[in-house]
Amino acid sequence: MILSRLTLLILFFSNFSWGVLEVSVIKNEDNALPVKILPFQIIGSVQGGDLIEKIITNNLNRTGHFSAKVDPSFDKNVINFSQLRSEKFEALVMASLEKKSEKIFDIQLKLIDPYSEKTIMNKKYAVHDSGIRRTAHFLSDQIYESILGIRGSFDTRLAYVTVSKNSHGKKEYRLEISDSDAQNPKTIITSTDPILSPVWSPDQNKIAYVSFRNLRSEVFVQYPFVRRKTLKLPYFDGIASSPSWHPDGNKLAITLSKDGNKDIYLYDMEKKSLERITKNPSIDTEASFSSDGKKMVFTSNRSGQVQIYIMDLESKKISRATYEGNYNAKAVFSPDGKSLALVHRLGKDYRVGILDIQTRDLTILTENELDESPFFAPSGDMIIYSTNKKNRGILSVVSIIGRQTFELSSVNGEVREPSWSNYSQ
Amino acid sequence: MRKQGLFLTTLFTAFFLSGCIGGEANIVEKVEPRNQIVSNETSNTSEAIVQSQIGRIIGEEISPTDIRVTNPNSPEAIAVKKLKNEGVKFTLYFSFDGYEISEAATNEIIKHANLMKDYPQLNLRLEGHADERGTREYNLALGENRALAVKDVLALYGLISRTQVISYGEEKPISNEHNEEGWKKNRRVDFIYE
Repeated sequence: MILSRLTLLILFFSNFSWGVLEVSVIKNEDNALPVKILPFQIIGSVQGGDLIEKIITNNLNRTGHFSAKVDPSFDKNVINFSQLRSEKFEALVMASLEKKSEKIFDIQLKLIDPYSEKTIMNKKYAVHDSGIRRTAHFLSDQIYESILGIRGSFDTRLAYVTVSKNSHGKKEYRLEISDSDAQNPKTIITSTDPILSPVWSPDQNKIAYVSFRNLRSEVFVQYPFVRRKTLKLPYFDGIASSPSWHPDGNKLAITLSKDGNKDIYLYDMEKKSLERITKNPSIDTEASFSSDGKKMVFTSNRSGQVQIYIMDLESKKISRATYEGNYNAKAVFSPDGKSLALVHRLGKDYRVGILDIQTRDLTILTENELDESPFFAPSGDMIIYSTNKKNRGILSVVSIIGRQTFELSSVNGEVREPSWSNYSQ
Repeated sequence: MRKQGLFLTTLFTAFFLSGCIGGEANIVEKVEPRNQIVSNETSNTSEAIVQSQIGRIIGEEISPTDIRVTNPNSPEAIAVKKLKNEGVKFTLYFSFDGYEISEAATNEIIKHANLMKDYPQLNLRLEGHADERGTREYNLALGENRALAVKDVLALYGLISRTQVISYGEEKPISNEHNEEGWKKNRRVDFIYE
């Protein structure tokens, strides 16, 4: 197996902003599926239309599952299937994009299998023009699903925290969001005090996060697409931290120490009411919900060790989930609810692992010293986490079968605390 | 001002080393003026008096009856003002993942309790910290437990209302080294008078 490292500093547009992360693709040449993409046929004036196949190609290649190439010289009217087969292409992708009105594109997407010589997908979409990048990500999701049987996680967003030194030599923390390919970066909050634990709301309209701007840890909720719009949470004595959205999008689990020790509470933003979920003299924190909203996973040192527990929210029954090792923390449910991604101490190292809840089998996915903050892509087949590389914080993405796919780093400083959004609406 | 920092360190090294005898947590000699305020008005001699006064206050060399500050220009008054305004920091260190207070550490905390009882104008901010290992949110909780453990001792002296606890978790390390030497310096509670 040859691992080659291909660094792409993607600068499609001239709007290079401070926060564009560098995307390093770690490509698995042996197993990647070759896909040929033909230049898209553009009818009418479509701004940035010439970029669409390039964005799709980069999306597919970033996952490590594909080796996609654009072939401008290919004649789609005379398809030489035996030639495609001899070059081991798994699929031929072609599409047309037609502007129907100010706001609507008609898109036809076609995938052809060179082996059966049949069209395996031929779909028409009317897409609202929310920009060529969104359209390209949407189409990438369709292609990914048509070949691999799982929806891709391209039409999604990331949130993360960057840390750099400002011109006065002081640390500057930024809460940033970007598309799933690190493009379109946008700074939501800048602060000289630490920011941590950003997390997208299920509807992707809000981000909850922890800030020390008032010289204590407090949870804030920000609307990233509405300037200066925030949602105010009440003041709590002690720590307020570790926000996590209930799938209903209205309730937020937070860790509070107002009653002496750290327990998990559920704050209802509509009713403005607070419900205590755990009550234990130990540390309970890092809550996260299953996507059906029936279970909550959290970290606790109630056994004397730091371990993961799952609460059935209806019966309030708590069961311990982790037994391997003496430190397991920050677990999140996979989208299907069957497994947990978590931080596991292995010897002196902290690694990201995946736990099968039923069988209690723990598989370690990463191999660094300080891996943390795992977060599932909405498709469930990839996990983003933060790690250190050459003493610098970066984000890394690993597939759940343990294959490293790509890394996101900043030339300006550190990147940490990733959150992967749901699919865009 | 460098010279002053050095003087402070020497003074407190002499005093605090006596209290540093292993266990779960130890007060160590670390003293850091957070804001180096440059003052040309203070002569070195009066500066030295003020410094030694801080040492005497913390070191219990003055009996509580002597030190009720009445004259705002007395060395004691200036010393208290310095403690409050210059962010002079005392640090208690902790074991890996621990928040227990050893007997030796308890004795050091009692010295601070006595100081606060003698000087009602002093309030204390306890900042809890953790090293970078483990998750950020768990470390935030751990940092608070460390600071709360110190507060529990001060509570025995009726000082709860004058003691404020905050946790920074692993967010404000003293050392950026990714090894035991660095981590040791980061697992701590800072005592800051206000």
